[in-house]
Amino acid sequence: MAEGMTLQEQAEVAREFLEGLVERYGLDAAVEVRELDEETVELAATGEGLGILVGPKGATLAALQDVTRAVVQRRFPTRTDRILVDVAGYRERRAAALRRFSQEVASEVASSGELRALEPMSPADRKVVHDTIVEIEGVESRSEGEDPNRYVVIAPTATANVDA
Amino acid sequence: MTIEGGYEPGDVNVVDDEVDEDGDQGNQAEGGSATGVLEYLARSLADDPDAVVVRTEDRRGSVVLRLHVAPDDMGRVIGRRGRTAQAIRTLVGVAGARDEVRTVVDIVDD
Repeated sequence: MAEGMTLQEQAEVAREFLEGLVERYGLDAAVEVRELDEETVELAATGEGLGILVGPKGATLAALQDVTRAVVQRRFPTRTDRILVDVAGYRERRAAALRRFSQEVASEVASSGELRALEPMSPADRKVVHDTIVEIEGVESRSEGEDPNRYVVIAPTATANVDA
Repeated sequence: MTIEGGYEPGDVNVVDDEVDEDGDQGNQAEGGSATGVLEYLARSLADDPDAVVVRTEDRRGSVVLRLHVAPDDMGRVIGRRGRTAQAIRTLVGVAGARDEVRTVVDIVDD
């Protein structure tokens, strides 16, 4: 039954689920579906009072994403696409802040010539850092350690090892 | 509605009267929206949504929500290393907090 189901169909299941859930909180949200690449879709919910679904440090949002993925997986057990959930622009604001922070660290590394190890981050956050650093000349980034303690190292290009 | 699997005839104290999956009736016991959120989450995760039953009980300032699902749906509701169960508890907790109640979610293995 799950064979050949498209990313859009999964997104539709996720959207219906999220809209229904938001309703159970007595809230109202518009859920926008954005295809980020061919196997990643983001569902972005916006509306009044949705901050409670973000929670401290995004903990509630993380729970929301976990459950949404589980709901989609039940219906499409053979697919392994990535379903991201954002609420009230939280993920986007956080990504923007992380990009600014990465740029600051990059310029420190470039001027000091010394590498910097960042705090452990989620794969999604590490990707934001890598995507930012790859655009900046004179520095490189790589991930070290094992999840959940995997972290990004930003290093001057000359001394950086090759890594993904 | 039909009650499938494992439920005793004495189980009359079922909170779940609704048939319409979008209905909000029947959730007005203690824990109001927390119960509604828990039922919704469990039904969305379950292959057998009709078997989802939530019973609530007041316990000194907290509301205990006991979730019953079909045996085959236990794994789905709990998730790998309890990850889905943890997410459910977080989301139910947020609903409870809006009504100023502390919630405890028990996933009952019938």
